[in-house]
Amino acid sequence: MNRHSLSLSLRNDPGALARVVVLFASRGVVVESLSLDPTERAGVSRLDVVLALPPDRPVTQLVKQLGRLYDVELAIEVRSQAA
Amino acid sequence: MDTTGAGALIKALEDVGCEVIFGMPGGAILPAYDPLLDSVKIRHVLVRHEQGAGHAAQGYASATGRVGVCMATSGPGATNLVTPLADAYMDSVPIVAVTGQVARSVIGTDAFQEADIRSITLPITKHSFQVTDPADIPAAITEAFAIAAEGRPGPVLVDLPKDVQSAPVRYVPAAPGNRTPHPVVSPVQVRKAAQLVATSRRPVFYVGGGVIRSGAAHALLKLATRTGIPVVTTLMARGAFPDSHPQHLGMPGMHGTVPAVAALQRADLLIALGTRFDDRVTGSLPHFAPDAAVVHADIDPAEISKNRLADVPIVGDCHDVITALNAVVTTIPDLTPWWDYLNGLRTTYPLGYDWPADGALAPQYVIERLSTLAGPEAIYTSGVGQHQMWAAQYVKYERPGSFINSGGLGTMGFAVPAAMGAQVGAPDRTVWAIDGDGCFQMTNQELVTCAIEGIPIKVAIINNGNLGMVRQWQTLFYEGRYSNTRLHTHNRVPDFVKLAEALGCAGFRCTDRSDVDGVITEAMTVRDRPVVVDFVVGQDAQVWPMVAAGTGNDEIMAARGIRPLFDEE
Repeated sequence: MNRHSLSLSLRNDPGALARVVVLFASRGVVVESLSLDPTERAGVSRLDVVLALPPDRPVTQLVKQLGRLYDVELAIEVRSQAA
Repeated sequence: MDTTGAGALIKALEDVGCEVIFGMPGGAILPAYDPLLDSVKIRHVLVRHEQGAGHAAQGYASATGRVGVCMATSGPGATNLVTPLADAYMDSVPIVAVTGQVARSVIGTDAFQEADIRSITLPITKHSFQVTDPADIPAAITEAFAIAAEGRPGPVLVDLPKDVQSAPVRYVPAAPGNRTPHPVVSPVQVRKAAQLVATSRRPVFYVGGGVIRSGAAHALLKLATRTGIPVVTTLMARGAFPDSHPQHLGMPGMHGTVPAVAALQRADLLIALGTRFDDRVTGSLPHFAPDAAVVHADIDPAEISKNRLADVPIVGDCHDVITALNAVVTTIPDLTPWWDYLNGLRTTYPLGYDWPADGALAPQYVIERLSTLAGPEAIYTSGVGQHQMWAAQYVKYERPGSFINSGGLGTMGFAVPAAMGAQVGAPDRTVWAIDGDGCFQMTNQELVTCAIEGIPIKVAIINNGNLGMVRQWQTLFYEGRYSNTRLHTHNRVPDFVKLAEALGCAGFRCTDRSDVDGVITEAMTVRDRPVVVDFVVGQDAQVWPMVAAGTGNDEIMAARGIRPLFDEE
């Protein structure tokens, strides 16, 4: 498995976090850690997540799938390492 | 305007151009149904099961290109919409589902008819809203319509607690809002694609449903005709390119034509437009189109390089991409040897079928005649299974939107309610639901809706007495052990003619080849109510060609044991 750190800007709408977590569950992503913090912008939170993917699953695909969620303003890959 | 949340809902739906709602009332959505009674702009079609409302909204959306709307109450009403929402998500159909919810004060208390429909539908909706302030209703509806239709279309859920519907509110029309424009097509990528076309020797247009959703069929016709490149249309794209066009090789995939499958397998360039390299098209991925470079254009960046790495990814609306390609593709390779090869396959392995040895009717013949007699201006819907594949193979489609079926999710029972929605959206067209005897028994209650609401759809039941596709797999892969696939419909249980009449429809039966044309013609003359024709066909007919699940496309069998591509090596 390869370990990836992602950072997301998430609108503080009810259900927004659930939508992200369900995407991880339904796409078979192993979540190692997850932290949600307020930002200086009202109504927007920062979600930092460390996850593991099999080597044949490119993280870019997952980032794009996160990016198409309406409550996700931005999703970026912070760093990756082969485990 | 002083009103209630419910009044604001109906006014907002009117303002976004909703002209029909397929739905069924119930406790938690009751307030919304009251102002609906006074709406002169919105027709409500009272279905007999909420699943029918959802598929009807899909059929309406697919036939018109507009957003379809369905409505249901909380709890079981909402959960009955789960299948249509999942179906619309897989096939990118723009629908909005409005559901009632228990009052805000009791949400989370396991109240009567409470279900957390937002959470249930999280993985199968593009987006969802639960409106907790009646003043937010117009914005939620406006947003929901925009999200359903823009970019890659899909289903959106709007959940409305009952007390939010009842609360007094002042109606203020929502601002249209800043919608995401189509992504600008990268000229650099388009030029790279044009260069690949110029240096290719065996290119093929691999066309998916995105070409229909984006209204790009005409642009594709121009590009294809000018370049002379072969075209294949997936199940979702049947009708995106005319079947009568000499460059059209048919449908690729598990039950595709030999020349269409060969075109992908032997290509040195796939120009994939609005398609997602679904497993039913690619077969075993490592064996799919092994020599091809890939240009992949799609409006959803998450689809590009998902299953097959794209050499030239192009993010954009298919209409924009094809128009851009039309402007820059100037050098066109000599395709004579490529066409010689493909035409050879076309001559040697045309679509074909045998007549059952026991004298029973051939299902493929019924569908062929239906296509000839109803013609390309009709709309055809289908359920899922053998009849769906024959409807994809043997109906000749000439225009986009003329074939509406459940491709991604594979929902049995889709045909009748989808036909109902399509007929409401296109009242001047003949709508034929090509259905199976298994599928028909799942959703035929909507024929009552059709009879009462004056929606004169026509249903051709391809009645082979079995869950035919499952039986075919049992024949091929389970040594003919037919576990639970026999439906006894050949014993007239149920009797589809009597059932049709009981549901308020005209019923006909056809068991003989010589009667097929006569029965179809007679069914076409009935215009005052729905028609059901029970075509009793042989139970052993199989769908060919076939690529067995999990194998490479090179192992396509034109018929059992005949592998034209495998043997040519």
